[in-house]
Amino acid sequence: MSRVSLQNIVKCYGAVEVVHGIDLEVQPKEFVVLVGPSGCGKSTTLRMIAGLEEISDGALRIGERVVNNIAPKDRDVAMVFQNYALYPHLNVSENIAFGLRIRKTPKAEIAGTVAEVAEILGLTEYLDRRPADLSGGQRQRVAMGRAIVRHPEVFLFDEPLSNLDAKLRTQMRAEIKRLHKRLGVTSIYVTHDQVEAMTLADRIVVMRDGYIEQVGTPMELFNNPVNTFVAGFIGSPPMNQITADLIGGDDAPAAMMNGAKIALPKLEALRNSEGRKIVVGVRPEHISIAPTDGASAMSIDLDLIETLGSEALLHTTVSGVPFVAKAETHGSVAHLDDLGQLYIRPDLIRVFDADTGMVLDQKLAS
Amino acid sequence: MTDVNKTGVVVQPLASKTAGQLTRWERLLIILKRDWQLYLLLAPTIIWLLVFLYKPMYGLQIAFKDYSIFRGIVGSPWVGFEHFETLFNNDQFIRAIRNTIAISFISLCVGFPVPILLAIMFNEIVNQVFKRTAQTIVYLPHFISSVIIAGIVIAAFSPSSGIVNTFIKALGFDPVYFLTRPEWFRPIFIGTSIWQEAGFSSIVFLAAIAGVNPSLYESAVVDGASRWQMIWKITIPSILPTIIIMLIIRIGNMLEVSFEMIILLYQPATYEKADVINTFIYRQGIQGGQYDVAAAAGLFNAVVAFVLVITANSIARRYSKTSLW
Repeated sequence: MSRVSLQNIVKCYGAVEVVHGIDLEVQPKEFVVLVGPSGCGKSTTLRMIAGLEEISDGALRIGERVVNNIAPKDRDVAMVFQNYALYPHLNVSENIAFGLRIRKTPKAEIAGTVAEVAEILGLTEYLDRRPADLSGGQRQRVAMGRAIVRHPEVFLFDEPLSNLDAKLRTQMRAEIKRLHKRLGVTSIYVTHDQVEAMTLADRIVVMRDGYIEQVGTPMELFNNPVNTFVAGFIGSPPMNQITADLIGGDDAPAAMMNGAKIALPKLEALRNSEGRKIVVGVRPEHISIAPTDGASAMSIDLDLIETLGSEALLHTTVSGVPFVAKAETHGSVAHLDDLGQLYIRPDLIRVFDADTGMVLDQKLAS
Repeated sequence: MTDVNKTGVVVQPLASKTAGQLTRWERLLIILKRDWQLYLLLAPTIIWLLVFLYKPMYGLQIAFKDYSIFRGIVGSPWVGFEHFETLFNNDQFIRAIRNTIAISFISLCVGFPVPILLAIMFNEIVNQVFKRTAQTIVYLPHFISSVIIAGIVIAAFSPSSGIVNTFIKALGFDPVYFLTRPEWFRPIFIGTSIWQEAGFSSIVFLAAIAGVNPSLYESAVVDGASRWQMIWKITIPSILPTIIIMLIIRIGNMLEVSFEMIILLYQPATYEKADVINTFIYRQGIQGGQYDVAAAAGLFNAVVAFVLVITANSIARRYSKTSLW
């Protein structure tokens, strides 16, 4: 399987630059997810890799070849589209076989390959049906069948699950993951759904406004976001971000927000910075409802409890600022009703610069 | 109490009756009251249909009467199928039927695919300026009166000063009297019809092509399809329902050969190949004053057209699952 390498890739539409010189290395057999809000350039980047959009500048390599000027069909990539792109006049078997027929593959070979792919995807009994007679999930599987039947070097997925309902999406997500494990094809997957990104990716690429904000494994992004954007984008619910003033000197740094005080980790980056404006980032999962060693208590006003089953989301305000915490229910939310305080361990807090939004170095002061 | 009909629309029943007890007229009244604005918009078309297409049907009975304008439709005596017998014993009418079928059939075979080809070609043009210019040029003849089109054709094929004969003469041949030679009538007529209407007719197909999901093409590009393969395997199959609908409509109008264009281009010398049912009706009815015989010929024309469109629709429905109704 091939490596995909993007070096200083730029995309312009006329005078407007929409992708600003991005660099990315996708390792062979790796599953990389491009994630970001609408208009961040993730689909454009994927389409440039597929050859459906011209690359304005930079070098795109698939394997060892620079493919900037190579036709899509010669890049040995297969793409799964958001709306499946199934031919309505062809049945499932013909749809899966389309790419092979175009390439004039012998009929016997086509029949064998289609049968094999249909078996993998559980489509054998639907081979004679037209796309209109299939459910959303089945159509999605046919679209994937069309992609895998050619045994490409690289799979490209352009938001393939966004037209499915929530339950089916979860199911198909697992199927894609299983399929990747089984086939081991280098895959690049575009989505705006961070849950999809977290569950599928070996590495996630977070994009914003045509730039790559951060590349890393799901847990790296979850635990160590490089800026407030990534912190707010990855995680559900997202990281709480509260603007505060740094107080307490070097020995006991703390964040002061509207009268509420939270102890901060003793970071090297916070030394000699009293009075500095910072953003305190706390994951809802890192907040405790019971006191723990070294945790600072924070008074809250509980607005709403959203019960999720084993967990509950506590929508609170801290000195008037919205703050979300996640708590285990242990079968009941009754014990959460009168909650007046939450506890935060300093080592689980991420501190960002209020002006740049960049995370402050996590190195502890000696 | 309310009732939800098949379309999911809630029908409010009259005072004390449940929806199940309402008569058809009461239900109609309720629907008319509820959606009166929509029916008001429909009214002009219905009035037009009644006045210009249904009311004249009353006059069709003269095809079975010995009609006299002095006695009127009601006063004229019934003669049964006498006029039809007269028509089918008339060589000119048989010739008109033969010509109508020949011209219609050739027009259908030659003329029907042209707008489809034009639409596909327009769709393939990348340069927008060239595309729009080409479209304007081919749409233009549709907006020109048939009289002017016929004038242009007559001038172009004129033996003395026409561009075609000027060219023939320049090549050292004798000029050809195209418009007086029966064997040239059909090619000139069909060619003129295509020139006049093909461009405009292509709009329907162009709209159908515009409705094809662009990701089908993108997917085919990634799969390695060439432009030709995309036309054959995506564009044409995708617009096939539109092609079938247009074909049914065209078959329904098959006998309605462009009457005014034939009147403008034909002359007694070319009647042999040019005289169609409609021109025969015109000469018999309007010029010859035989309204009853002309009505019989017109009725025959309409019945055949009706049978044709029903048959075409049934065939289309059976084999392609696409039909007008």
